[in-house]
Amino acid sequence: MSAGSKSIQDVMSRDVAYSGEGISVRSLEDSIHKERDVQDAKVSELKVLRERNVEIQTAMGDELKKLRKFSDYIDGTATKGGFFAGFKEILSYIPGLKSIAISKRSIEELLKQQYQVSATRVKEAAGYCDVLKQSEQELYTEINRINGKIVEAAENERRALEYVLELRGMQEELEAELQSVEAGSVEARKIETDQDRIRALLAEHSSNVQLYGAAENRYANLKENTRKLAETIRNLAQDIQQYTTAASIKLDMASAQIQAIGRAADASVVMLEMKKSLDVMTESMNVTTQFVSDTQIFFRQNLDRLVEELETFDEGTSQLLDENLQKSKEIEEARIQAAIDKAMKRKEEGGAGGADAAAPSEG
Amino acid sequence: MNELVTLHTQALRGEVVPGYLAKLARGLRAARLNNTYPDRRRVQGSLEAMKLAMDAGIYDQLYVDARAGLPNMASFTRVLTDHEVAGGSLSRMSDTAHYEQKRDEAEVYARLLDKRRYFEAIVGKPHAPLDEHRVQLRRHDPETGTAEFRLDLTKLDASGLYVRITIELTQVASAWRRKVIDLDSDGESAAANEAFHATVYRNASYDAEHLFIHMHDIEGVSVDRVQRGVIGPVLFRLPHAGAPIVPAEPEQGNPRLAHAWRRWLETATSDEPELVLCFQTDIAARDVREEKSNDPLEDLLSTSIQDSERARYQHTRERFPFKVFKDRKFVVTRGAEGLVRAVCEAAGTKNLIYRLR
Repeated sequence: MSAGSKSIQDVMSRDVAYSGEGISVRSLEDSIHKERDVQDAKVSELKVLRERNVEIQTAMGDELKKLRKFSDYIDGTATKGGFFAGFKEILSYIPGLKSIAISKRSIEELLKQQYQVSATRVKEAAGYCDVLKQSEQELYTEINRINGKIVEAAENERRALEYVLELRGMQEELEAELQSVEAGSVEARKIETDQDRIRALLAEHSSNVQLYGAAENRYANLKENTRKLAETIRNLAQDIQQYTTAASIKLDMASAQIQAIGRAADASVVMLEMKKSLDVMTESMNVTTQFVSDTQIFFRQNLDRLVEELETFDEGTSQLLDENLQKSKEIEEARIQAAIDKAMKRKEEGGAGGADAAAPSEG
Repeated sequence: MNELVTLHTQALRGEVVPGYLAKLARGLRAARLNNTYPDRRRVQGSLEAMKLAMDAGIYDQLYVDARAGLPNMASFTRVLTDHEVAGGSLSRMSDTAHYEQKRDEAEVYARLLDKRRYFEAIVGKPHAPLDEHRVQLRRHDPETGTAEFRLDLTKLDASGLYVRITIELTQVASAWRRKVIDLDSDGESAAANEAFHATVYRNASYDAEHLFIHMHDIEGVSVDRVQRGVIGPVLFRLPHAGAPIVPAEPEQGNPRLAHAWRRWLETATSDEPELVLCFQTDIAARDVREEKSNDPLEDLLSTSIQDSERARYQHTRERFPFKVFKDRKFVVTRGAEGLVRAVCEAAGTKNLIYRLR
C-alpha cells in the first residue's frame, strides 16, 4: 500500500464530527416544525388576548357610558327635569337597580361600587401586560436558541464542505492512479473500489452540505419571524402598560374625591364638585378605552398580517422540503458538483480573506 | 411624604411602609375588638395584603388618609381588586418553579415570581370590604304583625374611618308584611331594607344618638339599639431621614386628640415608630342604664348642645326611651402612652389603654 493509499484510507475512514444531532430531510423538517410550534403557541396566546381585549373594550365602553351619564345628569344638561329626574335612568345602567327608587340608594355607595368596578377593569388589563411581557421574554429566549441552531448549522456546513473538498481531491488522485495501473488488474480493482466508496461518501456529505445550508437559511427565516412576533408583543405590552398606569394613577388620585363628593351628594350639597370629581374618573376611563381602541387597531394592522406571513412561511417550508425529497436522487451528481463548487469558492474566498476559515480541520 | 398628593391623601413610600402596616395590624390584634367593631381579621387581612404587595413591589406607594391615619379607599380597593383578579391571573401565569428557574434570566421573571407568590399568599384569605350590608331577621310574629331585624353595616367611611353600625329594630306596620314575605333562606331581605340601608349609610358618620332618633322617626319602626364601633383615627410618627412622617390633617380626624398630638410632637424624639390607635364605641339603646361618655375625645350631645336648642332637644329625647353610652379604648406604643394617659386624665375618663409592642 502506497503512502497515497494510506492517506485515502484515513480520509475515507474519518468520522466527520458534526455537532448536534445528525441531520436528514425528515429531522430538519421535524426540527423546523418544533420551532414553528413555539411560534404557533405564541400566536394562539395573542389570539386569545385579542378576544379578551374585545371583552374589555365592551366592558370599558359600558363603564364609560355610565360615568358619562352620571356626569351629564349631575351637570343637569342631559334632562329637562334636572339631576333627580335623570338619575332614574342612570340607575338603569347598574345591574339590579332598575326597579329601585332614587331615594333608596346612596350616591356615595353607588360611586364607590363604580370605582371598584373601574379599578378591577384597569387591573385586568394590566394583568395581560404581564402575560405579554413573559411571552416576549420567552420569544427572545427562543431567538437565542435559534441563533445557536444557525451557528451549529453553519459550522456543520463548513465541515461538510471541507470534507467534500478532501474527498474530491482523493477522487482526482485515484483517477490519476488508475491511469497508471493496468486495466482490470488487482490494483485497478482496488482503486475502483475506493472510488466507489469515495463517491458514496461524496453523496452523503454533499447532501449534508445542502441540508445544513438549508437549515441555516430556514432557521434564519424562522428567527426573523420570531423577532417580528416578539417586537409586536413588546409594542403591545408597552402600550398597555402606558395606558393602564395612567388610568390607575388617575383612579388612585380620584378615590378620596369620589368618596367625599359621594358623601356631599348624599347630603344634596355640592353638586358642582361632584361633577368635577366625576370628570377626573371619566378621564381615567377615557385613557383606558383609548388604549383598548388603539390595541384593536394594532391587532388588526399587525397581528393578522403577521399570522398570514407565518402561514405563508409554513407552506413554503413544506413545499421546499417535499421538492427536495423528490428531486434528491435525480440531482445527486449536480449536488455533489454544486457542493464542490461551493467549497472551492469558499476556499478561494478564504485564501483571499483568511486562509484559516477554509483550511481543512484535519489531515 | 408629609404633604398631600390629593384630597386628604398622603403617599407613603419606602422603608416606613412595612413598619407602619405591621404595627397597625398588631395594634388591631392588641385592641381585642369584639363584634361591635368591623371584623378585625378582615381588616388585618387587608393590611397584611398591603404589606405583602409593597414587599413584592406590586405598588410603589401606600395611600393613607391624612385625617384618619388609616390606608385610604384606593389602598383598600387595591386589595379587593387583587383578590378579584388573583384566581384568573394565577391560572394564566406559569408555575412558581418555572419563575424560580428563570428569575436570573430576565427581570420580568423575577417580577412575575413575586407577583405569583403575592397572589398565592392572598387567595382565600380574609379581606375588608369597602361596604358590607347585612339584614337579619331576628324574630317574626305573623299574628301580631311584628318583625325584629338586625341591620349590620360595615363601611369605609368618607371620613377615612372604618365603621360598623348595628341597629336592632322592630317593624310594626302593614308596610313590612310584603317585605317579610321576600325574606330569603338566609333570613336576609335586602329589598325590604333598602330604605333603611340607605338612611344608615348616609348617616354613618353621625353618632348613635343621631341614628337612633333618625331611624325611630320612620313610621312603623321602633328602634331598640344602635351601636357604632369605629376603627381610627390613627396617629403615627414614623422616623425618616429628614423629618418624621406624620398624618397631615389630624385635626380633621379628631380636633381634641390632634391638639394634644401636635404638642406631643414638639418634644418627641424617639427613633422608633410611634402610634396611637383609637377604637370608639357609641351605643344608644333602651337597655343602657346610665347616660355617660367615657370617651375623652367626644362628649355627649346633651352636654354640648347650645342653650337655644336645648328645649327642642329635650323634647325630642323625651319621645324616645333610650340612653347613650360612649367609650373609647386605645392601643399605643410606649413613647406615646403618656400622651394618651394625659388626654384621658384631662377628660376625667377611665379608658383601656393597651401597649403595642
